[in-house]
Amino acid sequence: MARHLIIGGGTAGLNAIRTIREEDGGGSEITLVSMERPYSRMVLPYYLGETISESHVFTATPASLAAWKVKTLIGRKATALNVKANTLTLDDGSAVEYDDCLIATGSRAAKPPIPGADGPGVHSFWTLDEARKVIADVTPGSRVVMVGAGFISFTILNAILARGAKLTIVEVAPRILPRMVDDACAAIVDRWLRRHGVEIRAGATLTKVEEVKGKRKLSFKSGAPIVADAVIMATGIRTNLEWLKDSGLEMAQDGQGGIVVDDHLRSSVKSVYAAGDVARGKNLVTGAAEVHAIEPTAQEHGRVVGANMAGRDLAYRGSLLMNIVEVCHLDVASFGGWDDKGAEVFTGVRPERSQYRKLLFRGGRLTGAMICGPAEDIWTTNDVGILKGLVQTGSDLSAWKAHLARDPFDVKPAFMATRTTAALLPQTILGRPSHSPSLPQSVATR
Amino acid sequence: MQTGTFQPAKSVIRVSPFEGYTSYAPYTCTQCAEGWCMTACPVGAIQINAAGAKDVLDDKCVGCKLCTIACPYGTMFFDSDSYKAYKCNLCGGAPACAEACPTQAITFEEGPTRDWLGDFAAQRTVHVLAREIA
Repeated sequence: MARHLIIGGGTAGLNAIRTIREEDGGGSEITLVSMERPYSRMVLPYYLGETISESHVFTATPASLAAWKVKTLIGRKATALNVKANTLTLDDGSAVEYDDCLIATGSRAAKPPIPGADGPGVHSFWTLDEARKVIADVTPGSRVVMVGAGFISFTILNAILARGAKLTIVEVAPRILPRMVDDACAAIVDRWLRRHGVEIRAGATLTKVEEVKGKRKLSFKSGAPIVADAVIMATGIRTNLEWLKDSGLEMAQDGQGGIVVDDHLRSSVKSVYAAGDVARGKNLVTGAAEVHAIEPTAQEHGRVVGANMAGRDLAYRGSLLMNIVEVCHLDVASFGGWDDKGAEVFTGVRPERSQYRKLLFRGGRLTGAMICGPAEDIWTTNDVGILKGLVQTGSDLSAWKAHLARDPFDVKPAFMATRTTAALLPQTILGRPSHSPSLPQSVATR
Repeated sequence: MQTGTFQPAKSVIRVSPFEGYTSYAPYTCTQCAEGWCMTACPVGAIQINAAGAKDVLDDKCVGCKLCTIACPYGTMFFDSDSYKAYKCNLCGGAPACAEACPTQAITFEEGPTRDWLGDFAAQRTVHVLAREIA
């Protein structure tokens, strides 16, 4: 019986486990090593905002993992991988043998190297444990400073306001959301947030955090200091790869690094797969090898690896970079190469409605897109998904470019008339219809 | 999909006008094989119901909107009032849209999923595009 080892209980790891069981019905051994009990990081902001309870964040329970015939080593940390002996060493000195394994150890929050960054009342918001600490500190009427105005910070913005705190966002770049939207869109979001009572200080370099009379004092390179009850550092993430430094696995040295993988998401060692934030997989649009540290990529990677571990021969077409975030009922989403400097760009702005569109073309193909607008406008259209579909299929929009240049908001007729639906319908990640995310009966009865 | 309210803005069928509002076509979820919305959901809140449709379970949905960017057809929606995603679930097997349509432009029958609108939309936009170029 094949012995599969899954290292990491996040999105990639859990999707791999489910897919193995969908494929083999329970006919293999699966061991899960995870530092934490599996939960979804995506939903932590809603726990912070108190719209869901803590129990809602878990993606597996001891009972469900037992039903899936998964042996669990929860609370254990992987410390070394011996790819010649096919063994993983854990932090308690024990070893686990495997026939094939998946590295899905994800990322952790990174704080800037400044004095006081690790002091009391200075939080990250990445793990469930960190979320609990933020919940304890962000109370009604408290003053909260969020350092970093990127995607992670914006996913918890609504929750902090909902807890009744007064929020200031500081960002080292000259504007908010520097890695998710362009200048024009950032300006719309900036105005919207200020109108909703959020203070924003862009272009501010934090130099230190001190504790003064039970409060946090933040000093900057220029400008007045800010005193706060709680500080949340949303200043980026770092992949958890250090433990593999002696493994001999091929790692990318440039940019975001990552484990080099082939189109089956196998590393330089055939029995070792990588998925999610740690994998340098293929970009669907450009074909380039890149780390896409986003939830949808972790999910697709995990399923492809699960199928391959279960004996399928499944190539992955690549992942599409995409994000959506909503702040105070203003939705902002971007797809693919939204900042591609070599693309032909059409933009549309409706300033009175806080609406923005951006379409990026390479030849006749839409390779990137951005959409921004109030919820009541965005969700009466099909446009969010349609933009994703056009980028995903690479439909030939040559005949529609003049029309879209004139009106970048009118994408739906172009989507339909270029028969993008017909191109999409045969596309599946696993080469077969997906299953409901519940337990396959075959496992339960085996 | 029944919201329990009369609010056309929340309809999961969106009717597109063609040729200067002289013809129309309804557009809705294809219940595709991948189920991009279902596989994207981080909490398993989208499942296949008895009618074979992908269906959002309200008590599980947290409102993260991942399904809305995962669906490449644009047929996932978001309800700001309930703070949940929603989509066509074929009304559990008895779609109210087919029942209500007075011209039988919408009918409900078993069959392979296909692109219902591509040819229609391509034909009905030829003149518009030609005029724009001229």
